[in-house]
Amino acid sequence: MQHDIHLFGLNHRTAGVEVRECFALNDQERFEQCAQALGSAVNEVLVLSTCNRVELLVVSPRGEDVTGKVLSCWAGTSAKTADDLRPHVYQRSNLEAVEHLFSVAAGLDSMVLGEPQILGQLKQAYKAAVERGQARVVVNRLLHKSFSVAKRVRTETGIGSSAVSISYAAVELAKRIFGDMSDKRAMLIGAGEMAELAATHLVGAGVRSISVANRTFERAEELASRFKGKPLAFAELFSKLPDVDIVISSTGSQEPIIRARDIKGVLKKRKNRPMFFIDIAVPRDIDPDVNSLDNIYLYDIDDLKEVVEGNKAQRQMEAEKAREIIHSETHKFGQWLTSLDLQPTIVDLLGRGETLARKELKKTLRRLGPDCPDEVRAAVETMALTLARKLYHEPVCFLKRRTREEGGGEKFLDITRRMFNLDEETVPDDAHMDRNNGLEED
Amino acid sequence: MNAGDLMHYAVLLLYLTGSGGHICGMLTRKERPRLLGGVLTGLGFALQAVSLGMMLADGHALASGEFYISLLSWCLLLVLFILWIRLKLSFLALIATPLAMIMLMGSRGATASNVQLPEALSGLFFGLHIGALFCSIGLLAMASAAGLGYLMLERRIKTKEKLKGAWAAMPSLDSLDRANRTSVSVGFPLYTLGLISGFIWAGFTWHRFFSWDPKEIVAVFIWLLFAFLFHQRIALGWRGRKPAKLAIVVFALCLASILIINFLLKTHHSFA
Repeated sequence: MQHDIHLFGLNHRTAGVEVRECFALNDQERFEQCAQALGSAVNEVLVLSTCNRVELLVVSPRGEDVTGKVLSCWAGTSAKTADDLRPHVYQRSNLEAVEHLFSVAAGLDSMVLGEPQILGQLKQAYKAAVERGQARVVVNRLLHKSFSVAKRVRTETGIGSSAVSISYAAVELAKRIFGDMSDKRAMLIGAGEMAELAATHLVGAGVRSISVANRTFERAEELASRFKGKPLAFAELFSKLPDVDIVISSTGSQEPIIRARDIKGVLKKRKNRPMFFIDIAVPRDIDPDVNSLDNIYLYDIDDLKEVVEGNKAQRQMEAEKAREIIHSETHKFGQWLTSLDLQPTIVDLLGRGETLARKELKKTLRRLGPDCPDEVRAAVETMALTLARKLYHEPVCFLKRRTREEGGGEKFLDITRRMFNLDEETVPDDAHMDRNNGLEED
Repeated sequence: MNAGDLMHYAVLLLYLTGSGGHICGMLTRKERPRLLGGVLTGLGFALQAVSLGMMLADGHALASGEFYISLLSWCLLLVLFILWIRLKLSFLALIATPLAMIMLMGSRGATASNVQLPEALSGLFFGLHIGALFCSIGLLAMASAAGLGYLMLERRIKTKEKLKGAWAAMPSLDSLDRANRTSVSVGFPLYTLGLISGFIWAGFTWHRFFSWDPKEIVAVFIWLLFAFLFHQRIALGWRGRKPAKLAIVVFALCLASILIINFLLKTHHSFA
């Protein structure tokens, strides 16, 4: 291995919000400044900065101590010094750094376990590094791997399969009741923040329309316009209920607004089509006895919280499986990293040639039959092996020459390994499409 | 073992593996095992059709109980496949495939029947009687399967229990209710048709339309219940639990009347 991979970071666990604010690299200028400064000090850099974490991935020549450089660069973007920063920062090296990056990409290190947002942010960070020319062989490979590891974790474990936010859990439940949401209408009673969040999820699930009833009509109008919905005066509420399938209530009322006796008439008008009431207000807006009616389902905030807690526990269990996947992928990456050197590459290249030659030789000898004299056999064997060696002679000379140059020529080593598929990977046909459409997909 | 036996066991095996596929699909929440189960069941279904055809060509089929029970299980699967394609409800296969398998297994128990062979004139009505009734029983089975799924899932949602694993793989309440509705609204007219054609056939064969046979009395009683269900569902807009429960009751009565009357009592409907 010619490189050391270092990862420096701080996240919601190691640093309080005031520290994260101070050392965040999220505004464009500071970000560029830090990346540029680091870029001139080391070989490859990737900077990931979100509201919960900053991660600096640095690839440096082997054995060089970069900790001081990185920390002073980083601290230089704020008014603080490296010593202020040092106690909050964790540092990982080589395979530990790789493992950490894989965990971050898969959402295992996130505040909400398994949340997918971080992957998009990591892709952004990688894109920025590529544009600045600070991502070369190792970072390229490492990031592409971490995207595919994250994808593997997502498909092979159930870490992202259940809702862990209250509003999302409510929408998931609605899907269990109604199935197809495209012909369902929703109504928000009260226009608070929670209602807005739930409405966002409902729109995401594809409901047909959203109406908003609120005591102050202006607020209803404002919220409704955001979801292309219809504002309602509070007095119209009951007359509109028969058309509505999903009701989300979040008013500040001290008394219940909706009771079972109000709903009986509504149900008759709806011909018993089911209704789902979600009551996220405290104190509750909807009398619990509504749930005793047939074809009516009522969940209040505590019920939803319970669902969410259960799902969180399940995610913890799935996270164990994810860690195993990450561990084995880290091991594989380590193997690749070791092989990215002149000697192992030459050995692999010649070995591959010999394997191919022997395979073909076996076929030819069988075709020559048992009567073929031994000297002919020996001659054919010599020819096959020599041909294989000679074919790879020029590439080997080229690699030797390039690795003596500045920069170690690992770019060519990497290309050679990929061109002759020395790592025996299966590469899908569309693997390099991302180069054409700006890294949108991995 | 002759070709007929071999076919019988092959069909049974296909239905068994098909059921296994559906159960796996439900437990793992994946679509692939279900599709595989569907394909295996479909193969069995085709093979059973061939076997039924062979029995019919043999000539003695119409006088043997085995033929009718086998035909009933085949009709059940026919209904299943139609509903599966129309409503995209693979859930029903979870109940229909094992049920068809059990019926087919039971068909071997019914060897001889004392049905008088239909006269040439009334062959149409006899075919209509059997075909329409069997299809409507298949539909009723699916209505009660969807109803059962509905009742179980509804209870869990209502009592706010967690919907994990296989529960999460179940279709939504709405689609289960729709399956029940479709089955009932197609099943009832078919049942009526089957009943009327039976009476007409009896009129031609025995020169009286109604002979106070226990099967006939029960059938009329089931028809009344079925009519009530149909009316409440279509005209009064019953939804959810009530029609689900009633469909289960009607199907259970049908099943009981087949098991008790056709096998144990001596009537002109008996199989054994």
